[in-house]
Amino acid sequence: MPASHPTHRFRVGDPVQVERVNPTGNPRTPHYIRGKTGVVTVLHGSIVNPIDHRDVYPPLCSVLFRVRDVFGGSSDDKLSIDLHEDWLTPASPSDEPTLD
Amino acid sequence: MAQEHSKQAAHSHMHDFKGHIEAAEADLEYWRTKRLEPRLIQLHRRGVLTFYDLVRTAAACPAAPTTAVAHDIETRVRALEDGLDDYTRGINLISLDGPGYPSVIEDTRKERGDYDDFFRIAKPPHDGALEERIARLEHQLREYRHLLDVLTRALLDKGVLTAEMVEQQRAFLAGRGAWHGARIVARAWVDPAFKQALLTKGREAVRELNIPPGRLGKLGVAENTPTLHNIVVCTLCSCYPHDLLGDPPWWYRDDSYKERIVRDARGMLAERFNLHLADHVEVRVHDSTSDVRWMVLPCRPAGTDGWSEEQLARLVTIESLVGTAPAVDPAALPRGGC
Repeated sequence: MPASHPTHRFRVGDPVQVERVNPTGNPRTPHYIRGKTGVVTVLHGSIVNPIDHRDVYPPLCSVLFRVRDVFGGSSDDKLSIDLHEDWLTPASPSDEPTLD
Repeated sequence: MAQEHSKQAAHSHMHDFKGHIEAAEADLEYWRTKRLEPRLIQLHRRGVLTFYDLVRTAAACPAAPTTAVAHDIETRVRALEDGLDDYTRGINLISLDGPGYPSVIEDTRKERGDYDDFFRIAKPPHDGALEERIARLEHQLREYRHLLDVLTRALLDKGVLTAEMVEQQRAFLAGRGAWHGARIVARAWVDPAFKQALLTKGREAVRELNIPPGRLGKLGVAENTPTLHNIVVCTLCSCYPHDLLGDPPWWYRDDSYKERIVRDARGMLAERFNLHLADHVEVRVHDSTSDVRWMVLPCRPAGTDGWSEEQLARLVTIESLVGTAPAVDPAALPRGGC
């Protein structure tokens, strides 16, 4: 997987935070992940998907989150969520989760 | 993976009756409220098959006699689970689109009571001691099985369905996409170049197997390793690469799966799916938006050296493609199975 992508704003390994609100974004972004911080793991590019939505959304990233950062608890397990870049902002270094 | 397999074998006896009963209660309710009853109401409202047609058919189609109840709990729970499988297969068998009455699956937020408790679909009580709950399930399953038999008979008698249509549906359900998924996995196990293409290019890679790649978004492939176990869910709808792999297991659409698997995958795998993962195995749940539809590439089971692709493909189940089960352990196959 390339570390950078011509159409992507983010790179693999970037810490990102999910927007809490994004009225024009893909409404299928899960509610439980909004406001949470994770790390970009895969860049998918812009996906043309006319069956599910008319317009092409911004480039899509897989972002990895720790379950405990999302739901609390002590689990080391992870959640991988596919998010369009308009839902993401760079996370400040102090928010950066250390994913081993 | 050998470690997980031996660990799993140790749990081949049922150890959590309550978990199995809870799952059966949820399953029965799902199929009643979301698949059978909406279908009945739809057929009635469209005038395709009325409730009175059912009454008439029922008079000539009595319920199967009750069989002797086994004494031990495990036998009863297993019989319940088999009966439930048979019942869900029966519903799928007659869930065919007709002119003007497409097959419906009712699953609305309104009925879940998201907006107003008043509209929540009534749930029967699930209280009581284990034996009471089993007896209640046995009774309900017998009733709903009878209703399904009457409905099937009435649909055939009235010519809404023909025996040929049902037979076609049976063949389709038995052979559809799941076998594609199994062939894709088997090829990836034996051919590293194919695996690489599958992981990086997704759908395009399957053309070399002469499988139609489908066109629903991008195909994501999450590879299991001895230290990483992947699971797929779609919490907001039920996205799955079904154009390529056929339908996912029915509970993939069920809220009880969606809600818990993202919060507590390890617990749910153990309790509901009897899959006990070692602590050093990381669990990773993929919640998809419809742009990327995910499948799991399970680990190749030990003891399969030298197996042909066709033999290997028989180890791949639809559960292993969403990650709630490993591929079948060859040691667990009946003698002479492969």
